[in-house]
Amino acid sequence: MLIYENFKAKLLNTLKLGVNPFKKFVSTGEIREDLGLVKSRKPLIESLMDIIEKNENCILPIIGKVGTGKTHLYWALKNRMYYHNTIYISLDEIYKRFFYTIYSEFIETIGIEPLRNIVNQLVNEWGALERKFGFFHIADIETIKQNAIASINNEFDQDEKVALNDIITGISTHQLDPYKKIEAERWLLGEIMDIRELSHLNMIHDLTKNKNAYIMLKLLIENSKLGTILFLDDFETIVKTYTSKIESEEVFDPSWLYGREDSPDEILSQKVLRRVLKLQKMKGLRLIITLKSTEYLEEVKKSISKIDESILTSFKEPLYLSEFIESDICEFYSKNMKNFLENVNFTNIPTNSFEDYFPLNQKILKNIYLKSNGNPREIIKWLIKIFNEIIFSDQKLLEIREKYEMQQ
Amino acid sequence: MSDVDSHILYDSIKKIVNEGDFKGSIISKCNDNCNSIIFSDNISISESEGFIISQGLRVGFDIVSNKRTAFSRKLDYNHHQDMCIEYSILIPEDVMQLYDEGQFSDAFPFTLNMLHTAGLYLRDPENKINHLDFFKGEILKNPVSLIMNGILVADRVVIDHRGDPVFYDCLIVGRDQDENLKVSYEPLANVDDKVVEYIIILGIEELKI
Repeated sequence: MLIYENFKAKLLNTLKLGVNPFKKFVSTGEIREDLGLVKSRKPLIESLMDIIEKNENCILPIIGKVGTGKTHLYWALKNRMYYHNTIYISLDEIYKRFFYTIYSEFIETIGIEPLRNIVNQLVNEWGALERKFGFFHIADIETIKQNAIASINNEFDQDEKVALNDIITGISTHQLDPYKKIEAERWLLGEIMDIRELSHLNMIHDLTKNKNAYIMLKLLIENSKLGTILFLDDFETIVKTYTSKIESEEVFDPSWLYGREDSPDEILSQKVLRRVLKLQKMKGLRLIITLKSTEYLEEVKKSISKIDESILTSFKEPLYLSEFIESDICEFYSKNMKNFLENVNFTNIPTNSFEDYFPLNQKILKNIYLKSNGNPREIIKWLIKIFNEIIFSDQKLLEIREKYEMQQ
Repeated sequence: MSDVDSHILYDSIKKIVNEGDFKGSIISKCNDNCNSIIFSDNISISESEGFIISQGLRVGFDIVSNKRTAFSRKLDYNHHQDMCIEYSILIPEDVMQLYDEGQFSDAFPFTLNMLHTAGLYLRDPENKINHLDFFKGEILKNPVSLIMNGILVADRVVIDHRGDPVFYDCLIVGRDQDENLKVSYEPLANVDDKVVEYIIILGIEELKI
């Protein structure tokens, strides 16, 4: 039996198996990240949480350059504010089926039981708990539907009435009709349904229809006991298409096909912006938007003012996500290494194990910091490169360390 | 039975008469041939007009072709009808909330919902009804039972392996040793069929009418 008394040797052996502790230099909304924020960013997240808790409806811009960790901030926020429904949406990906995508993410975040509770609470409000002859809960679905329409009809526009009817039918069927409950639950979970299934439920559209998804989302968010945070990443995407009007000579003029005023890109981004602003009006929904620069924020505000100037009042002062300071890289390195060791089932990790930043050292970390100008993404790229060398090259660790100590 | 403050609207034995219009969950027991029970969400009691119940549900056993048959029918009752009321009691709202919370979802797959009202058990020497063995192990929705001189309304009843009914989520109205009316809520009531006067399973279609 081999007993590893030497922690450093054991760590090197583990690395030689081919696992790099620094794998991911781009954070995404899909893959969970448990690594917390570095100390210098704690005040930022504290003020972010403070704003969220004090405001039921707001738009909070977060400004940070590429690679500063805006998406990582989402995971830190989600982990800290676990008592909120925190949803991540990248505007790059949801031009189509905007509300449906958000609805799907919302359902995934809250889970099936809270979803059932919310719709149950809704039908109860619509009169499902009425006791016939003083005792018996015999809900009349038609009466419930009429009560529902009477109570929430004025919250929606005229062109949303058909969708509203669908939603009310879906919810009341799910709660009150045991024979159609399974199909109704599939509908509620946002599954794509064919005409036969929909007509069995006495409905016209499933939730892939944007208006239906919007109404459902509004009902769920406004009736959820937890507040909801929508983290809209890459928000500048909306204005980028506006600024595509940069003087460039085009052989084909799109106005020949699409009219003089707006290009298809502009129409599309205006459409998305209108939808985002529609979301903003939902009670209990906080919007966090991330942008790459203050200029983009001004562009966004300008575009919003064209649609509805009153929304500008719900904008909060932007928070700025700066680059790492020098001590951050050391803290980040130690945290990440510990996290890696825990994930590869290392037990009894000595508390002082990364005091000397093994297998690197403080000098290398400082060099990395200087080369990457403190940009977290660049820092991770450097660390990946160095660790790949440690793992895969035939060079000795000492030689690799010397090489990176020398590089200025 | 855990006693709960109750609202006795009328008690013929204790000579309690509370005049006025009452709304809520009201159980009235009749002193008629079929020991019927009236469930209603309203009752009006006055010296001049007596009792007025609109849109109540009367439950009991009728004699049809010399056979006793369970019934539940909607009624508009006033004192001229020959069903003198023994007592009327308004179930407190906090008890009703407990009762509501204990109800099974309609979607629970193994519950039998009778479409029409039927007698499950009747202790009558001449026209005895006993379907308890037939429904052994089944869950039946909406039972109403008269047990000695108490009324038991439950969300569901299960017939156990001994053939005795076990009621779940029950409201019990009855008299104590001093003949005072009491109301209680019990999550579970195991009853020996020897003390049961009758058990009626309310039909879902008849409740919808």
